[in-house]
Amino acid sequence: MASSAAASNPTIPSLNLPPSQFARLQPHAYLLAHLSPPAASDQPSVRANGRATSQFRVTSANAGSLTHTNGSAVVRIGDTAAVCGVRAELLHTEDIASWSVSTASEAEAGNTSQKGGSKTEDEEDRDHVQDLNLLVPNISLSTGCAPGFTPGAPPSTLAQSLSHEILSLLHTTRLVKADDLRIWYQPPNLESEEFRNAGEGMDVDSEQTGGPEPEIKAFWVLYIDIMIISLAGNPFDAAWASVLAALRDTKLPKAWWDADNETVLCSDNISDAQKLSLRGLPVSSSFCTFEADAAAGWRSVVIPNADELKSQAQKQGSQQRWILADPDGYEEGLSQERVCVVVDIEDGKTVIVKMEKHGGWAVDSDDLRQLVDVSAKRWHEMKRILDQC
Amino acid sequence: MVGPTASLSILQRADGSATYKCPATGYTILSAVNGPVELPGRRDALKPEDATVEVFVKPGTTTGGVGERAIETTLKSVLGDIVLGREKGFPRRGVVLTLNIVGGENVERGDSYLTLLPALLHAGLLAMISASIPLSMTLSAVLLGVTDSGEIVQNPSPAAAKSAVSLHVLAISSKDHLLLNQSRGRFDFDTWELIRARALSICQGAANDGDVAMGEGTNTASVNGFIRETAEDQIYSAYAHKLDSI
Amino acid sequence: MSAPVVLLPGDEVPHDRLPTKNSNPLRLGPGLRLLSQPSPKAGDSNHVLTATQAGLLTTDAKRNTVSLLSFPNRRYVPTTNDLIIAQIHHSSIDFFHCIVTPNTAHALLGQLSFEGANKKTRPMLKQGELVYARVQSVGVGAGAEVELTCVNPATGKADGGLGPLAGGMVFDVSTGMAARLIRASSASADETDPVDGLIILGELGRKLESLGGFELAVGRNGKVWVDCSNAGEGSVSVTVAIGRCLQETDQHNLHPHDQKKLVTRILRDMKLVS
Repeated sequence: MASSAAASNPTIPSLNLPPSQFARLQPHAYLLAHLSPPAASDQPSVRANGRATSQFRVTSANAGSLTHTNGSAVVRIGDTAAVCGVRAELLHTEDIASWSVSTASEAEAGNTSQKGGSKTEDEEDRDHVQDLNLLVPNISLSTGCAPGFTPGAPPSTLAQSLSHEILSLLHTTRLVKADDLRIWYQPPNLESEEFRNAGEGMDVDSEQTGGPEPEIKAFWVLYIDIMIISLAGNPFDAAWASVLAALRDTKLPKAWWDADNETVLCSDNISDAQKLSLRGLPVSSSFCTFEADAAAGWRSVVIPNADELKSQAQKQGSQQRWILADPDGYEEGLSQERVCVVVDIEDGKTVIVKMEKHGGWAVDSDDLRQLVDVSAKRWHEMKRILDQC
Repeated sequence: MVGPTASLSILQRADGSATYKCPATGYTILSAVNGPVELPGRRDALKPEDATVEVFVKPGTTTGGVGERAIETTLKSVLGDIVLGREKGFPRRGVVLTLNIVGGENVERGDSYLTLLPALLHAGLLAMISASIPLSMTLSAVLLGVTDSGEIVQNPSPAAAKSAVSLHVLAISSKDHLLLNQSRGRFDFDTWELIRARALSICQGAANDGDVAMGEGTNTASVNGFIRETAEDQIYSAYAHKLDSI
Repeated sequence: MSAPVVLLPGDEVPHDRLPTKNSNPLRLGPGLRLLSQPSPKAGDSNHVLTATQAGLLTTDAKRNTVSLLSFPNRRYVPTTNDLIIAQIHHSSIDFFHCIVTPNTAHALLGQLSFEGANKKTRPMLKQGELVYARVQSVGVGAGAEVELTCVNPATGKADGGLGPLAGGMVFDVSTGMAARLIRASSASADETDPVDGLIILGELGRKLESLGGFELAVGRNGKVWVDCSNAGEGSVSVTVAIGRCLQETDQHNLHPHDQKKLVTRILRDMKLVS
């Protein structure tokens, strides 16, 4: 590797510089030399970490590692590791200030949802999960995960925006079904029978004609805490994968409203606990763009138009930019442009759930199409890993 | 449809300022830019050869939270892209942009900022233009929603945005580059390509020639034409005395 | 002359607007930069002028310059040799600490930087008093102090009326207006064409001559000091009238003949000139 680097950069004196030092002194030239080896050397174009451009790092996942949580997972992508714990707490509807006001309209919405299709059910989910903040993710980078982050410091801008991204993605994918988080109570029909079994929580199916409507007595709130315990680039993919694995692992105890005590009781029987039923399996893949010209951004050259840029790339023999999948910390420091694609595959069809790019102007439709394909491949890989854990 | 309105240089004590009002989404943004300014903090943390762009987003009625941090990061990378931070007087200094949401619905916790993003980008860009911050090009952004029936709607209202199957914000530079894409919801790539084509025609207008000739009649319909006209009007009124004497 | 051209960042300067008949090298003003356009043929590149700011393209064929006039009304940033009007905030042993612009660090004016000042004759300025001063140095880097002076360091004289401003009144105008007023008043010696479309000073001068005329100092920091102590009893109302004329011209960006009307109207309103 060192020989290829030295060959492409003639200014390096012949003194024996180990590759690790060259990597630190001239990071851009080092990565460039790996990606564009001289034609004569017959070496493949690989990244400095030995991966191909669209290759992700070795990923492993382990669910249920933390015993005191309702669900937990550790996901490791290369040297980036995230631990996620899901803790469920009860939120009584009587503690929700706006509950009694909104129930009136809620009841109507509930009626239509049973008649209407799944769409209105989705809408109702959104109302409950989002309006009542039933999902509370928080990501912490202040763990000493990387030299730049002081342990115990207040959340950095990166940590805050990652928290928001995760919450936003949880909402847009509607991953958690609101019905899993509701605790119902069927009031006894005092008119027909005097004593009915009061302990009939979660019992929505037993429809009673003419009886009182079942009512929601409480919600489960899921506190999703993510700790990045080691950060070597691409924290979002690792954090999202850990959230996904932890939610798949989450079991909520059977809970019901006890009318006599006027409180919610939970069963301590593990076999009664139910897993969450998630909607789909959205998998996130991040990419960054590495420019061959380190000073491209500030050369006094006319910025070509978008279509000129395309034709230019075709004309010039050597590749001018590489899109690197799952960048590590070293590569992230050398690139500006970021792409993040979250896909789900349903019945063999790729559905894009989120697609983001910013920080540059090089990546456009053609590249994005390829990245969606790469992300779809990654989905299969991640599904296998998550199914095994 | 009523087009957006904007005014430049409305604050006296900032280097540059602008308001931007988008009637379709109902948002009004007041923005102010100061730059180049000396930034506090560790000097070695600042880029030695480039200007640091700082963006602050202040919501109208609440304090800023994690959502604002996320949108600030995005705005910083998009607007920082077009700032020429190496021009004289800028390296090691900062360009500080403050965006105040003064009108429109609040963005709920955990909701994406997509509906606000075009207004924020335009207000930020106009303020930077009015502050004479050196820029390599201008940009224009658009919010597009896809409805149940697969129809593409431009600038959906907050209510329509909630019911949309997918929402997209694209920022296109004055030279047709895709500077930013944020898409949420459920869609496939072919839909996105339609969105991309639609965004290009909305931002740049049909007569997309990048010419500096004053084709005011042809450019008005596009967002880019709107940005250009706003800046031109301001320059003409500021130099009315000069233009009269010519 | 052809229609004015307004450029936006990233726009190219049209070739036909560049001065051509000149052998001197073309000089670029602020807001423009020279870029090379990579062309298909290797080793051959065109040069293109592009704008980095929004502004009005102006060319000067005589001096062979191209420049971009950007928005004139900006926050005032002290630059060496600017004439400004500063207000004393407090004084220390060696310096007067002056306010040049609100909410910025104080500028320093040496206790002895006045004409003929020494330890015994130095002016004893109190808080709130005004000085007409020149920016001597602005320093480099963060926390640098702006230094002012009221003498020309070469001659030791207070050129152009530098020094404390006694009496009168200060009005705030925009920085663009202040720059125009400075250009207008410096060119008023030959009294030919209105400079920058500002005829208001000449107009006021003519109308108020009978009342004893007035004194005016313009600071680049957007302050205008007006004094007409010669007007006797009516001095205050004359001062206010002048201030109103200047501020209205600034705010409404008045056209020369509107300026004339404004002066007539305001002076009549305030019963100064019949």
